Amino acid sequence: MSWWRYPIEGIGKILISGISNIGEIVCILIRTIKCIPYVHKNVGLIVKQMVSIGVSSIPLLFVTSIFTGMVATVQAEFQFRDLVADKFVGTAACKMILIELGPILTALVLAGRVGSALAAEIGSMREKEELDAYTVLGLDTYRYLALPRFVAFITMVPCLTVISNCLALIGGWIVCVLALDITSYTYYTGMQYLFQPMDLWAGVIKSFVFGVIIFVLGYYHGIKAGAGARGVGVATMNVVVSSCLMILIADFALAAVLFK
Amino acid sequence: MPNVNINPDDVMIKLRGLKKIFGSQDVLLDVNLDIRRGETMVIIGQSGSGKSVILKHMIGLLQPDEGEVAVDGITISTPKYFDARTIRRKMGMLFQMGALFDSMDTGENIAFALREHHPELTEAQVQKVVTDKLKLINLVPEFRVKMPSELSGGMRKRVALARAIALSPEILLYDEPTTGLDPITSDVINDLILDMQSKLGVTSVVVTHDMVSAFKVADRIAMLYKGRIIEVGTVEEIKNTANPFVRQFITGQRKITSEEE
Repeated sequence: MSWWRYPIEGIGKILISGISNIGEIVCILIRTIKCIPYVHKNVGLIVKQMVSIGVSSIPLLFVTSIFTGMVATVQAEFQFRDLVADKFVGTAACKMILIELGPILTALVLAGRVGSALAAEIGSMREKEELDAYTVLGLDTYRYLALPRFVAFITMVPCLTVISNCLALIGGWIVCVLALDITSYTYYTGMQYLFQPMDLWAGVIKSFVFGVIIFVLGYYHGIKAGAGARGVGVATMNVVVSSCLMILIADFALAAVLFK
Repeated sequence: MPNVNINPDDVMIKLRGLKKIFGSQDVLLDVNLDIRRGETMVIIGQSGSGKSVILKHMIGLLQPDEGEVAVDGITISTPKYFDARTIRRKMGMLFQMGALFDSMDTGENIAFALREHHPELTEAQVQKVVTDKLKLINLVPEFRVKMPSELSGGMRKRVALARAIALSPEILLYDEPTTGLDPITSDVINDLILDMQSKLGVTSVVVTHDMVSAFKVADRIAMLYKGRIIEVGTVEEIKNTANPFVRQFITGQRKITSEEE
């Protein structure tokens, strides 16, 4: 056997594994979407997941959003100082927060908090044979486990992004009034200046896609989790890393589509 | 005592030439076994020999690489067989660790599948079934509000058994039902397995390496060794077998003695 076969075989194996993983992820998404007609029968489970994913994340988002808004505003004021009028601080902060900072930071925070929790929960259920128990009882795991989480993710991530945007703008306002000597009126008129509804909608559309990414990667890494505590630990790490990467890549792709 | 009402020609589960390989590990090489309607078949073998893998093939959780699995005359091991849920409704399974749904209380665990498969039942009817099943496993109805995390190992298995029989299956599969339990609790589980057969008339397949349990509950015992069923017989036949590997296993010897070889 020639030595050059090994690197070629290695590359081949990586390619096959990568394509196979993408195929499995797409299958998860399709099988979950196919269960959407059963949404009305799973309202209780969906509400439970919405509370777990959405409501429970608000305290963490409150802190991250307020401080993100404050930092964005301080930086905008520092960069624009002596160059443009104070009202443009509000304009810059609003644009930054609505289009990029709000959706991206919310998605990254949720990937860490609920994406990893999803992988750990599903991985643990798999380890304890609960997933097999669903199947044996004739219950579709996609309908009872994946669908409620999917619906919760695609609805709560956009909602949380809007809440995060509001909180970040309030953070910017607080720092303007208390530290930067910019009046509320100046900040408010600056926010309105150059504002377009698309700024807000772009963030909401992005956050919907980010919700799909966090769900599907969290579920995928959960059902693929290895045995034992180490397996679940690795799965949670993988979901955070892969979600963050995919969120940033998707953000670039969506920016190119939405703002061309 | 062997169940005299069993018809040897009435096969409920048929395994033919079953082969399963995981990666580079040959788990099942050529498994052939008939399980008769109404009998309790115990499959024994060393840990990691593939006993649970056989069980998972019987209920369609795994598909064989080669061979055939037929349940009640229906082949479930071919890719053409898509409606696995129909056959699974005839079967219940008790998992090794119970596999109770942690987020639901005991009552919900038992009622969950019942509500989904029988939406025509009223809540009162569902609760009656839950109470009946709890009574069947000798637990009081008040147990329904307990969460799985509040239950001991033996209790978890009993509740898991109640969940498995909630849909009134014709076949019950038990995966290591006494593993991790003390001898007295193990005996309670053994009695329940016997009860299920006598009260519900189910066909049972028990996978275990606990010989006390195997001898107590079995109508017949099959020994899995190196991917093949090497011996099938009644309890007496297995106790008196001349097969050195079976003798080694049932007597718990580390090595096969020269006399037996």
